[in-house]
Amino acid sequence: MDPDALAKAFVEHYYSTFDTNRNNLANLYQEGSMLSFEGQKIQGSHNIVAKLTSLPFQQCQHSITTVDSQPSGVNAAMLVFVSGNLQLAGEQHALKFSQMFHLIPTPQGSYYVLNDIFRLNYA
Amino acid sequence: MDPDALAKAFVEHYYSTFDTNRNGLANLYQEGSMLTFEGQKIQGASSIVAKLTSLPFQQCHHSISTVDCQPSGVNAGMLVFVSGNLQLAGEQHTLKFSQMFHLIPTPQGSYYVLNDIFRLNYA
Repeated sequence: MDPDALAKAFVEHYYSTFDTNRNNLANLYQEGSMLSFEGQKIQGSHNIVAKLTSLPFQQCQHSITTVDSQPSGVNAAMLVFVSGNLQLAGEQHALKFSQMFHLIPTPQGSYYVLNDIFRLNYA
Repeated sequence: MDPDALAKAFVEHYYSTFDTNRNGLANLYQEGSMLTFEGQKIQGASSIVAKLTSLPFQQCHHSISTVDCQPSGVNAGMLVFVSGNLQLAGEQHTLKFSQMFHLIPTPQGSYYVLNDIFRLNYA
């Protein structure tokens, strides 16, 4: 698969899973995975999903504006850089965000998230 | 040096060089380096600096809002994720931007940029 198409497919999968069932994101992280969420550093699949499921909103919808990808220089790993809007249920205005993922291939032919950094882009 | 301090030092160096002498950025890239600038993909130090020096403004100032870093798992490489504001000379309003760098250690004890992805965050 073309790397840009693969990055877009991953992004669609990640955010549709986030928006419908955050617990299922556990499959996309491993014990060595790292999330920086608004500057807070969290390590390991269990802790990352605990953080994401404890966010102070029940429903949200990510809409993606841009997806950029590059090979990260090791074993077909990829860097994916996303910008978009996050709409929270009941809120009138969407929040702009940027996020980057470092995706590492798994032996099963899929990818997992080793590095994940998320920031809201405040107006 | 603490990784967060190192990331901040790199970011200060990169943007002060960008704002004062873009040609000086050539030292921070190598032939395998990749820049994605607003979706345009450019490879190699010479082509990257040619792109950055051909931008349609002579003077600019980056002010940095956030710097996040994580180890990339690649040969002591670091992922650095930056958000900030870009002020162009003569423009009243700043432009918000997000940028990510994948920094790889050099044998000389410094770092070079292997991956660089830049996006303006449009309102």
